[in-house]
Amino acid sequence: MNTETLGRLRSRIVNIDAMPAIPVILRPLLHCLDQPVEQVDMERIVELVSYDKSIAAQCIRMANSALFMRNSPAETVRSAVMSLGTWRVRDLLFSNSLSQIIPANRWVIDPTIFWKHSLGVALVCRKFAEMIEYPDPEKAYLAGLLHDIGVIVNCMVAPKEFRDSIENAMREQIALDEAEQATLGFTHSDSGRILADNWKIPSDIADAIELHHHIGDPERGGPLVALVNLSDLLCRMRDLGYGYYEPRQVDFANEPGWLYLLIKYPSMAEIDLARFTFSLDEYAREVGDMVASVFKS
Amino acid sequence: MPNDSTLLKDETAVPDNLGDPAWIRIRDLVYQVSGIYQAENKFYLLVGRANRRMKAVGARTPREYLDFLTARPNRDSEMRNLLNEITIGETCLFRSLPQIDALRRVVIPSVAEAKRKLSFTKLRFWSAGCSTGEEPYTLAMILLEETQGLLKGWTFEVVATDLNDRSVAKAQEGVYNDYAVRNIPPDFMKKYITKVGADFHVADSVKTHISFSRLNLLDDSKMLFMRGFDVVFCCNVLIYFDGKSKTRTIQHFYNALLPNGYFFLGHSESLYGISEKFRLVHFPGATAYWKSTEAIPKAGTP
Repeated sequence: MNTETLGRLRSRIVNIDAMPAIPVILRPLLHCLDQPVEQVDMERIVELVSYDKSIAAQCIRMANSALFMRNSPAETVRSAVMSLGTWRVRDLLFSNSLSQIIPANRWVIDPTIFWKHSLGVALVCRKFAEMIEYPDPEKAYLAGLLHDIGVIVNCMVAPKEFRDSIENAMREQIALDEAEQATLGFTHSDSGRILADNWKIPSDIADAIELHHHIGDPERGGPLVALVNLSDLLCRMRDLGYGYYEPRQVDFANEPGWLYLLIKYPSMAEIDLARFTFSLDEYAREVGDMVASVFKS
Repeated sequence: MPNDSTLLKDETAVPDNLGDPAWIRIRDLVYQVSGIYQAENKFYLLVGRANRRMKAVGARTPREYLDFLTARPNRDSEMRNLLNEITIGETCLFRSLPQIDALRRVVIPSVAEAKRKLSFTKLRFWSAGCSTGEEPYTLAMILLEETQGLLKGWTFEVVATDLNDRSVAKAQEGVYNDYAVRNIPPDFMKKYITKVGADFHVADSVKTHISFSRLNLLDDSKMLFMRGFDVVFCCNVLIYFDGKSKTRTIQHFYNALLPNGYFFLGHSESLYGISEKFRLVHFPGATAYWKSTEAIPKAGTP
């Protein structure tokens, strides 16, 4: 996208009244994430959950679902957080706060499909990061979760054209960003970058949002961009995409992101990609439960 | 209970001992030995079927059964029994729809385009370890359907082989029960299947494209003659082979394929650690191995 179009898009997005505001609990959550895993403060998480009655109720409901219930039902937010584990609660908080960015009637695409894909990419990113010994799997998780945030922007700033792009992508069975480029003249990667800058999201995550479809020179975005790019592709190849068939063949070992990570992280060469792919069907189930719990209110 | 086409009729209950940690080790052992991976959403299936084997050998806990699977002298025969259980019910026509979609929407168009450039208008598929014929008939029906569209004017051949004489004879008959035909889409059913009493007969128009024969995949001299294929399917056969035989057979399949040809395994079967010649490629919901003409990049060489 050229600078002039980008400039016009930026002013269009920043000036619009409907510019999504950063969710209230996102900042403290981002702050929690900056700390090493073992130092995450459980009490702080309980406090954040208690802020919002509907989220608190969801936590308790999920903790008491067949999947998580222990010996006795959880009745307090604290016991629900204990039984779900802080990371799962954080996942729930994230997806919940992000799903409240826009009113339910402004979605142009099915929000459950959107969140399944975003959460799926987040989980795959984190797992991938752990496998290759990338030092910050939680950052990878966050980058995965936010990578398509531009879709939300597009729903708000150009609902009609965006709807056309989605319909076009489904009809022609092409990637969403290709269809957006043709119909809108920009993609959710471009608008997502603008939102990320506006929200002051860390720049490496903003790079992942902007470059996840076309990573370009891998040195520019670094490992995080490559991780998000590959995880997004993998999810689209494993029933965690945008809900339509993309007739294509992906040769991961020959993707620029893969080749780049191979150089940076030698343990990449040990990955059993076939097994990892098969195990994604497990993620699909976990993600399905999570999204169902967010949207069942 | 998931809607699963590989489910047997009596498999509706979730096993009591599903949460036993020994199952994870059994699952990993099965993967290590056979290359078949049971993801969590199929886990109850593995556990249910392994429970039947547990009873048969008199093991009281999954842990005891794991010992049975790892200790001599039983381990090889018991692993074979378990694999037999795991793959039961996997023989039906149109078994893996994601594989079929990949074939019709990506693989056939790509192979045909490459061949058309060379003025070839014939495709050759091989169903290796075809058992009682469900797979080759599925492939032939799909190819027949494609000759009405993308492959108009093309000819094709499906070579179907199996080690077992009785399986080959049964395959040649092309007669199935309602369970085996349950996944066939209605339009295919209408065109290619005739109901005779309680049985379902495959049409001659399909049969004529298939040549059945007995073949031992470990017979090197016979395997040398298998050449010039665009696509090879070999589902749930290599899982029974030891490491060396697997490597040798994969080499034969590699040689049997034309450049840019595709090799399909069972939907949750992997070649990891067996062969590095093929490239693992992904399609929506399915994976396959591709005989690429380019070299595979190695670690550290972009």
